[in-house]
Amino acid sequence: MRVVIAEDAALLREGLIRLLEDRGHTICAAVPDGDGLLAAVAEHHPDVAVVDIRMPPTHTDEGLKAALVLRSEFPGTGVLMFSQYIETSYTAQLLEGGAAGVGYLLKDRVANVAEFASALERVAAGGTALDPEVVSQLFRASRRRGGLASLTPRERQVLALMAEGRSNSGIAAGLVVSAGAVEKHVASIFSKLGLPPDETDNRRVLAVLQYLGSPA
Amino acid sequence: MDDRIWLVAGTILRAPFTGRTVRELVYCGIGGLAGVAGFFITVFSFAAGLTITASILGTVVGLLLLTLALLVSRRLGALHRRTARWLLRYEVAAPQRFQPGKGILGRLDRRLRDRVAWRAVSYSLIKLPVAAVQLYALALAGFGLVDVSYPVLWLLFHHNSSGHLVALAPLPFGGSLYIASWPGTFLAALLGAACVIGAAWLARGITAADRALVRGLLGPSRISELERTRTLAVEDSATALRRVERDLHDGAQMRLAALALNLGMARDKLSDDDETPEVATVRELLDAAQRNAVDALADLRDLARGIHPPALDNGLASALTTLAASSAIPASVTAGLGPRPAPAIETIAYFCAAELIANATKHSYANEIKVNIHAERGGVLRLEVCDDGIGGADAAHGSGLAGLAQRVSTVDGRIDVSSPPGGPTLVTVTLPLKA
Repeated sequence: MRVVIAEDAALLREGLIRLLEDRGHTICAAVPDGDGLLAAVAEHHPDVAVVDIRMPPTHTDEGLKAALVLRSEFPGTGVLMFSQYIETSYTAQLLEGGAAGVGYLLKDRVANVAEFASALERVAAGGTALDPEVVSQLFRASRRRGGLASLTPRERQVLALMAEGRSNSGIAAGLVVSAGAVEKHVASIFSKLGLPPDETDNRRVLAVLQYLGSPA
Repeated sequence: MDDRIWLVAGTILRAPFTGRTVRELVYCGIGGLAGVAGFFITVFSFAAGLTITASILGTVVGLLLLTLALLVSRRLGALHRRTARWLLRYEVAAPQRFQPGKGILGRLDRRLRDRVAWRAVSYSLIKLPVAAVQLYALALAGFGLVDVSYPVLWLLFHHNSSGHLVALAPLPFGGSLYIASWPGTFLAALLGAACVIGAAWLARGITAADRALVRGLLGPSRISELERTRTLAVEDSATALRRVERDLHDGAQMRLAALALNLGMARDKLSDDDETPEVATVRELLDAAQRNAVDALADLRDLARGIHPPALDNGLASALTTLAASSAIPASVTAGLGPRPAPAIETIAYFCAAELIANATKHSYANEIKVNIHAERGGVLRLEVCDDGIGGADAAHGSGLAGLAQRVSTVDGRIDVSSPPGGPTLVTVTLPLKA
């Protein structure tokens, strides 16, 4: 996996480089700001970019702005936003163009190296990796919406994990249940959300998008 | 004791020969004339403005004239203040600059309520008697000097004539002193010297009074000065809090994240299957250290959010959206904001909304909370937090609401609570757009 890192704190930047190189990934470039990120992505066309949100010069949402440009100009590059905070408005902006190839994680998540790396791999492969905190915020925001209200607590848990980008077996491991049980829950979620079996649409993504309240 | 008397006498007698007295007398002349002129300009322009305003047809013209009169008064005030600085070297800071309102009516309104101009008007009016005394002091000094020169004048022009001189008297009544001989002129000179000394002290007294008036009426008013320093204090604290949050983010939080990362990498090197006691212990310790690092990050995040919510950097609407998303009761936000309010105001509005949402969550049993924030005409920011709960919120007894009221009052904002038993509860916070 080829990665570009944009992070203004040298300590974290070096840490990320080491973590990812340790696991056999290639770091094409590691830059300290948004402009550097855009230039590096244009040059290297990496699989995924890890983007800190607060970077110079304004130290507010430089990274988010750069990430939005990446999303529209380099759709082949996954974007993992990486921040000390989860801001609902950032999530909404990031997910506006769909949830494929997008991630938004708290910096805390690097503590679990294996999970962080697999989240990054999912995003690189066009999947989604949302922090549990993002998911719980969005879940509160969408609680009143139609079909979602009829889900059982267990189904909500399954859907939340789906939104984090996990596969059925990943969900089964997370909830400590059998893969068959997860499949049953998923089927029930699809029917409650009114998503009939269809070969052309990815019902999984549609369910998550409905859950996240973004346009499919 | 004797020494003291001579000292005082010496001070009194020497006064006319000091540079200060000369300056004060010059000020009495120029400042006095300017004062008389200013008085009449003020009286006439206001008389014209008020008379025309009072006549039904001329209200508009009259108001314009009044506005003009106030503008002139402001200028006159500045002129008087500069005269004092130029001649007395008496420095008084300029009052607040005029802040024009928006639109014709807004401008007119601001002009008519221009406190600085009205204080200048009162100075111009009070100045007339002051100017009279000042001009009298100058005249007294002039008469005295003429009288003092009589012995010399007599020798030069009158030593062989039979005419007489009339000594100039300091008062317009009480008759004049006719002098017919050279020794007699010394009486006039003595009178003149007394006049000069009297004039010097009169000038000193009236100038001190004038100085006090200039400082009190033409300088920055106590209220506007307090408002200005309060605004600075409020903005300062907002900036300081923001800096603290940024330091936390770039310092402790960053280091903890790096620590968590390093611990994670170390933990990753240890295989889960290795059952050697040492390895198992190290694994346990690393897991605990990692958990602590992550917990510390979460604590710091909450702390930083309480100091300065980072979402505020993108404006109130964005920050309130995030706030609403983390509310336990479903909350929605509508916003209508123009140009961004001052940072201190944004912070206050944000924390008001946070506290009100928390209050509703704790006490209202509501199903939904609506937050509405919009800018209104006249530089007012209105925040409304409404819930469909049981009502009965009381500003007097809820310590939370009282605390909010206190916080809001630091910028002259207000808070209104409507919460009948049975609900709904609507709390309205009104803030100025600028601190």
